[in-house]
Amino acid sequence: MSDETRRADDTGTVDETGTGLAGGDLLTRWRSVKERESFVILGTVVAVLLFPYLFARAPVVSEILQGYQSLAELMLIWGIFVIGFDLLHGYTGLLSFGHAAFWGGGAYAAGVFAIHVSGSPIAMILVGTTFAVLLAWVLGFLSLRRGGIYFAILTLAFAQMLFYVALQPLSNLTGGDNGLGIGGSTIEPLLGFIPLDAGVPVITMFVDTWMYMLIGIAMVVTVAFAYRVLNSPYGMVFRAIRENEQRAEFVGLNVWRYKLMSFVLSGAIAGLAGSLFAIQQARVPVESLFWTTSGEVVIMSVIGGVGSLFGGPIGAALYLYISNIVQGMSEVVLFTQIDKLFPGAQAVVLPEWASPAPYWHLILGLLFVLVVVFIPRGGIWGGLQSIGSRIGSRFGGDR
Amino acid sequence: MSQSDETATEVDRETTDTSDRSTVGQSILEVDAIDAYYGESHILRDLSLHVEEGEICALLGRNGAGKTTTLRSIASTAEPEVRAGQIRFYGHEITHMATEDVAVRGISLVPEERRIFPDLTVEENIHVAEVVRNRSNVLGRNISFDREQMPDEDLYEVFPRLEERLSQKGGTLSGGEQQMLAIARALKQNPDLLMLDEPYEGLAPQIIQSVEAAIERIREDGTTVLLVEQNAVAAMNVADRCYVVDQGSVVFEGTAEELRNDEETRQRYLGV
Repeated sequence: MSDETRRADDTGTVDETGTGLAGGDLLTRWRSVKERESFVILGTVVAVLLFPYLFARAPVVSEILQGYQSLAELMLIWGIFVIGFDLLHGYTGLLSFGHAAFWGGGAYAAGVFAIHVSGSPIAMILVGTTFAVLLAWVLGFLSLRRGGIYFAILTLAFAQMLFYVALQPLSNLTGGDNGLGIGGSTIEPLLGFIPLDAGVPVITMFVDTWMYMLIGIAMVVTVAFAYRVLNSPYGMVFRAIRENEQRAEFVGLNVWRYKLMSFVLSGAIAGLAGSLFAIQQARVPVESLFWTTSGEVVIMSVIGGVGSLFGGPIGAALYLYISNIVQGMSEVVLFTQIDKLFPGAQAVVLPEWASPAPYWHLILGLLFVLVVVFIPRGGIWGGLQSIGSRIGSRFGGDR
Repeated sequence: MSQSDETATEVDRETTDTSDRSTVGQSILEVDAIDAYYGESHILRDLSLHVEEGEICALLGRNGAGKTTTLRSIASTAEPEVRAGQIRFYGHEITHMATEDVAVRGISLVPEERRIFPDLTVEENIHVAEVVRNRSNVLGRNISFDREQMPDEDLYEVFPRLEERLSQKGGTLSGGEQQMLAIARALKQNPDLLMLDEPYEGLAPQIIQSVEAAIERIREDGTTVLLVEQNAVAAMNVADRCYVVDQGSVVFEGTAEELRNDEETRQRYLGV
């Protein structure tokens, strides 16, 4: 279920029964506050600030999770990518299998610009995003002539064409099979004087470097932008098209034009994410244009929750966690901190066969299957919202 | 075509249309000898009809007679394909116009079966049409139009139940309420011609009466209605004039009173 429709349910279910008045009143207030634009943005800011600390540095939690800073950055970048993808798939109902074109295209454009023109991170982001917008305009114009599976196949075909163009004919520019090595020294300091690997004053403990700050700001801007679009008349039309294209035409909507706009907006956000990826990695692997990248973003979106603003980043984080952390768990150690509570006690090391590392693909597949079977529309985010609603109803609300 | 060109064209069109609409009671829609096909299946054969301003015109016939195909031909959907004949609205040919352009010119179609956007709220279902004329304000929440929309108060006066359910999802409404919502959405655009495809389908008799009352109220407010219906008795209750269609051609044209008195036509083509 989308955030919008869930909000609609929320506003329609005010406690008027007299049972649990205080709790119901609080819940009603909470439901109205949590959907405000300012609250959504503020919540994103807080989450972005706390996330790398909890994931990579907080005592106990980070040790259990085994997280690290660069993975936190990568999770945010992919989170932005999934938000862009979901704008098209979750809200407009168009399943693209070629979003690697915008992610990889944005990354390559930013990388090539850095090497040949300027390594300013802001300029790289602008160039990468602009390139993705133009690319999306062209590919959207061609692909949206067909619907359903034909649209999906067309987007896949165009993205694969770009991959092979980058692999061979343009290998002088793209680095071909080796990818494009930008080099950390090519990327200039932020605004000309802030090195990206320098700590952020005052909040270093939380966010660590300016690299994360840059990515975090991009995430907040993306959420704010996507929230505004989805709650504008444009967003309403996108959802109407998702529901029934022909009915939208009967209303008088130029469906094709709105679909193209959705495609371009989606491509722009994917391009922004791709540019950040180029900056963070200081290289662009040619696989960023490959179909597996398009497939990964679909899986992340489904796991997190199709048609939900925050489902995407959650899906991206889970996917990357399993493919990076779980994949590397060759040894599982339980109770690593137990000696602090009980001096002399030792951590438990599980036998080698209990290690999840060899099974990480299986774990990912199982997670995907479980989500598709049990929470197909809402994904993990939908499941969390459902649990929240149940708890809310227990404490005085009517649901 | 640039945006400004389009806007200019629309303004021209509106100006022309307004001047054409000065004569009350004239034919606003003329379907002139159309032949329509689904693929190679010839569905409508030399079908002609006209709808006069301010009337309720019913298009009756058995299942498969070609009623819905006629409405879809007028709305200019991708299918059926009109290969011969002309459809004119206020004298302007609209035969092969894009569906959304037909709607923008003032023809609203309420299609059969599930007629609403189930995952949008009642309020969103009604207001989604507002974006149609909005060219300038992309991301803002205040929308401006060049075509006057029906005020919400007037709409809720006709459909008071909807006002009570604005924040509810369309898909959670009852069948009758969904039908009301579909008609309300079409009316919001202030159409000159409202086309209703099987509005009584699947509704309980009591609900049918409410829908009938709503249709009559719409006519009183000056909107012309073209009604397609298998429930001939209910349609004749509200219609001024009727057409009976059989095998893609018009076999009867006359007032509702004339059709009531023509037992042979009723029994032969409508089974009532």
